[in-house]
Amino acid sequence: MLEIRNLHVTVEGREILKGIDLSIRPGETHAIMGPNGSGKSTLANVIAGREGYTVTQGEILFDGKNLLDMPAETRACEGLFLAFQYPVEIPGVANLYFLKAAVNAVRKYRGEPAVDAMDFWELVQERMALVKMDESMLKRSVNEGFSGGEKKRNEVFQMAVLQPRFAVLDETDSGLDIDALKVVADGVNALRNPERGFLVITHYQRLLDYIVPDHVHVLVNGKIAHSGGKELALELEEQGYALYNEEPGRARRAAA
Amino acid sequence: MTAVAAQFIDPYRDRFATFLAQRHDPDVFIQRRRAAFARFEQLGLPTRQQEAWRLTDLSAPQAIAWHAPSAAPVDAGILPTLDMPTQRLVFVNGRFAPALSRLGELPGQTLVASLGQALRTHPERIEPWLDHVPGLDQHPFAALNGAFWEDGAFIHLPRGTTLDTPIHLVFHASGGDMHLQPRLLLVLEDGAQASVVVEYRGTDRYLDTPLADIELGAGATLHYHQVQEEAPQAFHLGGLRLRQQRDSTAHLHLLGFGSQLARCDLETVLDGTGAHCTLNGLILGRDRQFSAVHVRVNHAQPHGSSEQLFKGVLDSQARAVFDGMIHVSRHAQKTDARQLSRNLLLSRQAQAQANPRLEILADDVKCSHGSSTGFLDPDAEFYLRARGIPAAEARMLLIHAFANDSLDRIQLAPLRERLAGVLAARLALDLIEG
Repeated sequence: MLEIRNLHVTVEGREILKGIDLSIRPGETHAIMGPNGSGKSTLANVIAGREGYTVTQGEILFDGKNLLDMPAETRACEGLFLAFQYPVEIPGVANLYFLKAAVNAVRKYRGEPAVDAMDFWELVQERMALVKMDESMLKRSVNEGFSGGEKKRNEVFQMAVLQPRFAVLDETDSGLDIDALKVVADGVNALRNPERGFLVITHYQRLLDYIVPDHVHVLVNGKIAHSGGKELALELEEQGYALYNEEPGRARRAAA
Repeated sequence: MTAVAAQFIDPYRDRFATFLAQRHDPDVFIQRRRAAFARFEQLGLPTRQQEAWRLTDLSAPQAIAWHAPSAAPVDAGILPTLDMPTQRLVFVNGRFAPALSRLGELPGQTLVASLGQALRTHPERIEPWLDHVPGLDQHPFAALNGAFWEDGAFIHLPRGTTLDTPIHLVFHASGGDMHLQPRLLLVLEDGAQASVVVEYRGTDRYLDTPLADIELGAGATLHYHQVQEEAPQAFHLGGLRLRQQRDSTAHLHLLGFGSQLARCDLETVLDGTGAHCTLNGLILGRDRQFSAVHVRVNHAQPHGSSEQLFKGVLDSQARAVFDGMIHVSRHAQKTDARQLSRNLLLSRQAQAQANPRLEILADDVKCSHGSSTGFLDPDAEFYLRARGIPAAEARMLLIHAFANDSLDRIQLAPLRERLAGVLAARLALDLIEG
């Protein structure tokens, strides 16, 4: 459902992604691991459509459609979701209001009428339970004054309400203690199904104990240095990324 | 004096003697008018060499030959209403319009009336209060208003009186290059409580220089809302001065949407222990509108608190100035004074200038001030878009969020909702045009 082909991306003239190839089918969860500065967040932002990134080569197809031609809001309406590494605080916009605006924007795009207030409320109640979120957070301004854990929980909550077909989780584990991490992972796992794809981006293997991926890719210096099954995450945990900081051939030998 | 300034002042000088001769005011008021006019002549028109007027360019209104106000018919349908019972006084071209007004039963000695009429029927109730509130000594248009005011509103609540319904004052101007100088006298004696909505609006070109005097007795509570929605060609140079006695509370909301050049000079003195004052300002500027707010909060007695929040949303080539002074006198220990100015620029040509100032002579006080000016947060915009909300709608949502913080402070629900509607219509229009 998501096809990334030979993706090259520059930021302010500097090449960050140097030819990424990635193919994710419905129902699959892929993990991308890599050290700081390897290009993980750039990949997430380019998929979501953030400005400031220049694609110099390659393409991203989402169910065969050229994602790079679409503005961010269209990608979201097509069923793409990015769980932000740093969720933005928006003072003055209540969480619930924001969520309803988002749900209705997607429905409008699909040519559906605005959501019924009662149906929406029921969905919200149900999904809030999924991430053990307190009802008071609905009335508060989006992410304003939320703790790190609350912000990440709010991301997963939004994902649960919007029910995207494909979700990118950008370092959703960063800044979470183990209890919060479990809650967030349980929320994600509850949404996994044969139609939905996930791309989980993380620095640490820890998250992948809870969200067990089908495939793991190691991103180093803007390229996928190695791909494998879930066991690759454990190897990385033991050996670290140091192996991959060498030239690619040696890194592959070392990992093999 | 420059030729342009003389050209502005001379007609008032020529007019003043005739004006006085036609008045039938008690002597004490005639003397006050003379004193006010002498003050105006002494001050002259402000120049941009004066610090307080450095950023206000008066060359446009100075070059126009303004006429004394005259009567004109007005269609009642264009006047704003509040969707609730009110005591309603309408003024057309500065004069009380009884047919458009509606006054209900009032408790005891409470007076809600035309100031012009009350001067004839109850001069003894006006005399102790009018021209007694300190402040705006250097403001030439406040002085000029003191000389030439003819009508306006007089609200007098005796001790312990509470009005259940808000007082709605509507000042409508019909253009014709008239210079309107309405006067407001608002007196809440000890423990009295009232909510007042004052609206300035009109059509075509005119100059509006209203002056409001407000006295709050011990323990009195006032909710005051001023909505400046003047015609796009109009000039508005308003003055507001306020004195607060012990433990009184004033909530002032100043909303400025209209006129090509708008300025509000506000001076308040917390003259009794434990007085509390909140100032909540919101300006919406577009086209080439200029809006200025000059505030001076004087803490004269201990344990007072004041909280100022002034916000501006500026589009196209609009400009806004916030000049705020907190003065804490030597006696005013335990003062808690805060001031914040925030501006949101929607275009690269819009400009905002903030000049927050503190003068603190007491040593045991809490004072803070701050200002910020910026564009919409691109991260916030992207966050909304990443959830499917189209860019224009995302921007609208963020602008509303910025402004709603000010509107939400207005407790009077029908007014708050109407203003939210004005804001929505205004932003929708800006986005279509922009």
